[in-house]
Amino acid sequence: MSKLAEFGRRLIQLGRKGKGDTELAEEMRQHLEMKIQANLRAGMTPQEARFEAQREFGNRTRLQEESRELWRWGSFESFFRSVRYGLRVLRKSPGFTAIAILTLALGIGANAAIFSVLEAQLWRPLPFPDSERLVEAHLVLRERSRQWDVLPVRVFRAWQSESHSFTNMTGYLYPQNRNLTANGSSERVDVMAVSANFFDTLGLAPERGRAFSPDEEKPGGNHLAILSHALWQNRFGSDPGMLGRVITIDGDSYTVVGIASSTLRIEYFYDEPAIFIPLAMEESKVMRNLYAIGRLAPGFTPQGAQTELEAILQRQLKAEAIQPEPAAAVSNLRETWTQFGAAPLYFFAGAVALVLLIACVNTAGLLLARGLARQREFALRAALGAGVGTLIRQSLMESLLLSAGGSAAGTLLGVWLVQAMSTFIPAYTLPRRAPVEFDTRVVLFAIIISVASALLVGLVPGILASRVDANRVLGQNSRSFTAGRRQRRMRSTLVSIEVALGLVLLFGAGLFLSSFIRLIEAPRGFEAPGALTFRVALRGNDYSKPEQIQRYFRQLTDKLDSLPGVHEVTLGSGLPLAGTDLWGNVNVAGRPPVSKYGLSVDVFAVAPNYFQALGMHLLAGRAFNPHDDAGSARVAIINRNAAKELFGTEDPLGKVLEYVAAPERGVPAEPPVQIIGVVENAQEFNANEVPFVDLYVPFAQKVAPSAYALLYSDVPRGTLSDAIRAAAYNIDKDQPVYDMQTMDDRIDESVSGARFNLVLVAGLAGVAVLLVAIGIFGTVSYFVEQRTQEFGIRLALGASPRKLLAHTIGQSLLTGAVGLALGVATSLALGRLLRHALYLVPHEHTGMLYGVSIYDPLSLVGAGGVLFAALLLASYLPARRAMCVDPMVALRHE
Amino acid sequence: MTKEVLSKKAVLLPGTLEMLILRSLERTGEPMHGYGIALYIKQISKEVLLVEEGSLYPALQRLAIKGLVKAEWSESETGRKARYYKLTAAGRKQVTEEVAGFEKILEAMLRVVQPA
Repeated sequence: MSKLAEFGRRLIQLGRKGKGDTELAEEMRQHLEMKIQANLRAGMTPQEARFEAQREFGNRTRLQEESRELWRWGSFESFFRSVRYGLRVLRKSPGFTAIAILTLALGIGANAAIFSVLEAQLWRPLPFPDSERLVEAHLVLRERSRQWDVLPVRVFRAWQSESHSFTNMTGYLYPQNRNLTANGSSERVDVMAVSANFFDTLGLAPERGRAFSPDEEKPGGNHLAILSHALWQNRFGSDPGMLGRVITIDGDSYTVVGIASSTLRIEYFYDEPAIFIPLAMEESKVMRNLYAIGRLAPGFTPQGAQTELEAILQRQLKAEAIQPEPAAAVSNLRETWTQFGAAPLYFFAGAVALVLLIACVNTAGLLLARGLARQREFALRAALGAGVGTLIRQSLMESLLLSAGGSAAGTLLGVWLVQAMSTFIPAYTLPRRAPVEFDTRVVLFAIIISVASALLVGLVPGILASRVDANRVLGQNSRSFTAGRRQRRMRSTLVSIEVALGLVLLFGAGLFLSSFIRLIEAPRGFEAPGALTFRVALRGNDYSKPEQIQRYFRQLTDKLDSLPGVHEVTLGSGLPLAGTDLWGNVNVAGRPPVSKYGLSVDVFAVAPNYFQALGMHLLAGRAFNPHDDAGSARVAIINRNAAKELFGTEDPLGKVLEYVAAPERGVPAEPPVQIIGVVENAQEFNANEVPFVDLYVPFAQKVAPSAYALLYSDVPRGTLSDAIRAAAYNIDKDQPVYDMQTMDDRIDESVSGARFNLVLVAGLAGVAVLLVAIGIFGTVSYFVEQRTQEFGIRLALGASPRKLLAHTIGQSLLTGAVGLALGVATSLALGRLLRHALYLVPHEHTGMLYGVSIYDPLSLVGAGGVLFAALLLASYLPARRAMCVDPMVALRHE
Repeated sequence: MTKEVLSKKAVLLPGTLEMLILRSLERTGEPMHGYGIALYIKQISKEVLLVEEGSLYPALQRLAIKGLVKAEWSESETGRKARYYKLTAAGRKQVTEEVAGFEKILEAMLRVVQPA
């Protein structure tokens, strides 16, 4: 018989509230009546009939009682009893209850908040139908499987036509920032080129209009556009007439054929793409930014698909007699798109979980200390017949009530934390733009961790309390009994654990602090305080020739130079902390090549005064001058890292670098350049990076359509930026100025992630120290109270108050020292374990720590010192009371 | 007097009363009220088996909790509202199983009691 159904029937009966009782009474009364009628018919007198019926029926009250008893909830009612009792107990000590609830609320709230971030950022499926079946198919280097390789068009085509693992496979280019001109104004938007079946593969057809058709993928037939729902709504006011309208992207006309679905959010790139255009794959053999998305056919796994794609790849490599260098890889699309932010999030989740653990240990400790004071109560209850189970259940019930309170408060705190975090988290440090929100899953998670915490918190004190020796406790007719050795040892162990966990967090905070200071003070390789920078990317038919581009930038620099208050203007295809769009592969002329493809270098095409304006230090040779122009000999300056990589200790000046053309990888051929100087390494994207190999060439010798201008001026920022925009608008109104920031802004942005990490970890460590202090304060308080009488006797016998103080503090410091030792060991072990994830690994992940050793002694000593101070203070305050005990009062303290 | 009579009559094995109720409901095949069940049991057991008629009611509650019978109020033959009990599907299954089990026990007992 199903217990559940029985539970249901009992529940229904409970819901009928005594109606069952009256029904039963009525039923029995009817039965008797019928019997009496029958007896009368049999010829009895009314009195006889009644008597006989009652005799045969039996004791009505007892039978009714027996029936009612059957419906009772044995365990259920005692459950409510223990809830009521627990509430009464907690209400009697409001201070303890408040501290315990607050402690748990901090732990649970922080965990709920970080869970909601993890859920929204990493675990929530992408907003496409059945999106977990979507995978990214790509190439990786055979010897370094984490480093992606360029996906050649022919490989993509072979996969698309020959594989059976996918119902659909589509391609896209990484979104590109382009000029959108429509309704008389222009702006920068991200444009994503996609295959015709892109929308089909994701499972989201355009909301209006149509998707692209396969024949529109051909070069020339592709001047069509689908607007993102957000762009259509914000820029074009949801105008239904947009279909068929012509917009201009980089000077070319595109006809709008569709509006994407509002659920099609592609929020995983630097900026969300606003316009989709057909991807004309056959335009060139190599598209450096080509990526492939597949929807797995039913029954196929990513591993199976990978095996198939690998086979197709190998067939093709063999057919073209190419060394098998790359390997095929297939990975879940959601994981691929969100992986760059995953490691820090998991790291913080770990730190936050640690805080909850401290909160639990803390509360368990407080309960235990209080359990000591309640020994008599437990002993009495045991003596009166309460079983071990009842006592443990009672203890669990109290901790459950505490954690329920903590959970409620914590959930509120979590809501607040999530809101605070979503405004506080720096943009672009999270993988998705998706809002972090508090939903039912988060609340469910909060409930689960509350119950887990309650078990953790309540079990130990409950078991210990249930082992109380009733005889011993009740035999002493005073409250002077001291804690049993077992309790005291358990209590000390808990405090030690707490101190150890606190140390781990504090040490972590120390590492992040030290790392942050190093980041700020790291040599940046440039010095440009107050310089304002902005970017212009020339697009369209007016700029297809180098001379046209040269003319634009010459006009722009001249105009900027002539602005009132402007001192110095320079130009470069890139900037420190902003990178550059140009690249190349080089070998040293007359030497065996560094590798088959040469050394990959980032190329900066710069104006003659670039190094001077950016305060970049020239280490050898000369800077460019205006004579290094299109007509003169090709020259280059390399950075210190390039000199080291290419020449080691040799003098690079005068050497010639040859470009290695690699058409299948999209690397163009160029005339060789002679090295005339070496410049200090400058940070290319942020401080926490391995120095890049950089090659600087004169802007006059290598034209870049996209360039940054940098200028110094006395004019206030607002006026200056208006003047700059006006100047650019005057030269060509279709080329917008964007990414306008001072170099100081860029520096600030480059450390914002590290600052955020620091604030978060430091905040958590602060909470941990607070919790540890509360825990120690509570313990020492209880011990002092427990031993009031003992102290009284000692004082009466002549002990000095100072000595008692030292004794009390000494005991808690001893416990603390054990915890510190444990914490140091744990920290070092954890550091060893996480080392790989914490530091930058090129091509794999960014680093959270910079320049600081995982065994940094300073952070370790600092963390220990802070905890020790907290320990001292938290035990001094209650221990002082031991000093002030009045012997007479203490001895009468019965 | 009652004590002696009771002890003579009350040789009911535990659970027998429940089985009798189920059996009665099964045999008649239609819903019955408590009085009806009592009468029926009296008849088929030749008035020896029933201890106190009232003990039917706790037994009926036990069966209801286990979901073997279902109670419903409806019009009785005299036009009054009465509580009628009927077998559930689970109850019907239980009867078949228990009768089989009971017969086995009885057989065993008879073998023990009868001289070889």
